[in-house]
Amino acid sequence: MKYFKETLYDAVCQEYRVDKLYFESKTEHQHLMIFHNAMLGRVMTLDGIVQTTEADEFIYHEMLAHVPMLAHGQAKRVLIIGGGDGGMLREVVKHPIAHVTQVEIDQSVVDMAIEYLPKHSNGAYNDARLNLVIDDGFNFVNTFAASDNEKFDVIISDSTDPIGPGEVLFSDDFYRLAKACLKSDGIMVTQNGVPFFQADEVQNTQTRMGALYRDMRFYCAPIPTYYGGFMTFAWGTDNTSASAPDAADLNHRFEALALETRYYNPAIHTASFALPQYIHKAIESA
Amino acid sequence: MTQTSENQIDTRPLLTGDTVSADEAQAAAELYRELISQHGSPLLVFDANVLREQFRSLQAALPKVELYYAVKAHPDANIIKVIDELGGGFDIASAGEMDLLLDHQVSGRRTIHTHPIKKDQEIRDALRFGATTFVVDNFHELKKLVNYRSRVGVLLRVSFRSASAKVDLSKKFGCSPDEVLALVEQAEQLGIHIKGLSFHVGSQVEDASKHVEAIHACRQLMSQINRQAEKPLSVLDIGGGFPADYELAGFSINTFCAPIRNALAELPSDWHLIAEPGRYLIAPAVTSITSIAGKSQRNGFAWYYLDDGIYGSYSGQLFDHATYPLQVFRGGQTAASIIAGPTCDSIDIVAENIMLPSLEIGDLVVGHQMGAYTAATKTRFNSLPDAKLVVLNASARVD
Ligand SMILES: Cc1ncc(COP(=O)(O)O)c(C=O)c1O
Repeated sequence: MKYFKETLYDAVCQEYRVDKLYFESKTEHQHLMIFHNAMLGRVMTLDGIVQTTEADEFIYHEMLAHVPMLAHGQAKRVLIIGGGDGGMLREVVKHPIAHVTQVEIDQSVVDMAIEYLPKHSNGAYNDARLNLVIDDGFNFVNTFAASDNEKFDVIISDSTDPIGPGEVLFSDDFYRLAKACLKSDGIMVTQNGVPFFQADEVQNTQTRMGALYRDMRFYCAPIPTYYGGFMTFAWGTDNTSASAPDAADLNHRFEALALETRYYNPAIHTASFALPQYIHKAIESA
Repeated sequence: MTQTSENQIDTRPLLTGDTVSADEAQAAAELYRELISQHGSPLLVFDANVLREQFRSLQAALPKVELYYAVKAHPDANIIKVIDELGGGFDIASAGEMDLLLDHQVSGRRTIHTHPIKKDQEIRDALRFGATTFVVDNFHELKKLVNYRSRVGVLLRVSFRSASAKVDLSKKFGCSPDEVLALVEQAEQLGIHIKGLSFHVGSQVEDASKHVEAIHACRQLMSQINRQAEKPLSVLDIGGGFPADYELAGFSINTFCAPIRNALAELPSDWHLIAEPGRYLIAPAVTSITSIAGKSQRNGFAWYYLDDGIYGSYSGQLFDHATYPLQVFRGGQTAASIIAGPTCDSIDIVAENIMLPSLEIGDLVVGHQMGAYTAATKTRFNSLPDAKLVVLNASARVD
């Protein structure tokens, strides 16, 4: 196959030239590819849908990691659900945390990413603070919620799309169990799709997560290869002041960390909670 | 005519040592014997060049139509490979068929899912595979697509039944033409886009008159909808039905398709035209080779027992109402004979009261035009081994 054609939508489709195929695996009903494209670097696709590219992954990973981490300000214990490519972990370990648990359903995804997408994890899988758990994300929160283990300050759900292996990570039960793994002032964020084309996703999350948190909202960022403009991230917390931190505080935290970011900065952080009108409308009609 | 009575003579085309030139018959027999000595008996011999020829002929007869091979006709990896190389698309109807395509790395973008009735899991599997075109024919099915409405393009299947079709495909599926407007409207209200209409006049039709009638009717419906609709319908899927030459009468696909071409020529030039041919493409490309395992004389008939039959490659005689031309390699005086399959069941009879020259144990009996709906419907009855498929001319001929 010399071209990859995304199969996300029937009426439109992005097409990528495959300049070099690094990896392809087909298990039952699942098709994973990693290839090189001249403009985007290494591209990973799952079931015909672009998951991540080296060129623009920084926007996604910085925004899903640094917004909750810096808003919280003192997160010590972090849980990442999914995120097998390692990009989320790479951003999370830049913070002065004590511990991060990452739950990935398939060890082979981690191994494959370390080998073929090395820039994503950039060594983060060797971080001593990491506890990598190979388990179903739903299973993990279910067990953890019933245990006496110390809960998390921040939970990041870095899932695939709701049709496919990540399906349960968009369910009522998952959101409820995940909240039970969160400290009372903790923050949970999730990947939530591109509402310009998939308004249903924000509506579903608004209904499901909105019922659980005192403050449930979305923030957004445009990731070029997630075709369709802004991607939304769901934000849920009982700490109602977390989404609007004091600007000076945020600046101070950012500077103290000396994060070398390419998309995130405190002004973007604050601005990302401002939503375009079409997204507001979609949420309101939930 | 699957089960002829014992009194009625089986009049299917029969090639014998007397009807085929000796050289030709000998060359064929030698090839088949060689294949059997290599691979065992029974066999299905798939000649990829014949499939290439069929595909090109149909494409030439319907130059504006994109061809999607109906995988159900013969779900086999070797066949998929050839269609893929020819640039054809695939009409799929189940997760099993998708797995076959996935093994061959065919992009979901080149497939359409045409089963009008689907479970939710099947829709999800199809989307994960990459098929985004779905077919529905009623409101219940439309509703199942609501969750996926941003991703899918939907064809509405309309029922037009050819009286001459050997296999009726409009009794079980398809809405009536006068339900179309209401369904398109209901879809629009659910936020689902109907991108066009599809029909299947039935398989193995004698002429294209029903195709033509259906094209005219769909043209009217689509044009009528498009006068008001915000999102125009632009796809017309004319299904299958293109016949195989079971009579060995020298069928011309170009002549058959001429009225379809004329009807399609009247459509707006920006409409997308697609077809889902199965039988025409693959039937002549596969030949069954069986060996006579035993013989006897019973009730005044010469009985020959083959190592393949109705529960195997000849299952189409039962399920598909087809009668395949047979070939034997002896000549001389003929006698009323019965060709039976290998299972213990009495319906396992391939040809009853057929006039055959005297045959011997070990002789080959060949079935022609046996590519479509043959192995596809075989059973596991008696736990007999399947006829193995062997491929001739796997690589494209260098012209
Ligand atoms: C939906 C659909 N498309 C295509 C076909 C193939 O038809 P044919 O073999 O007559 O070309 C069939 C046959 O059953 C079918 O059901």
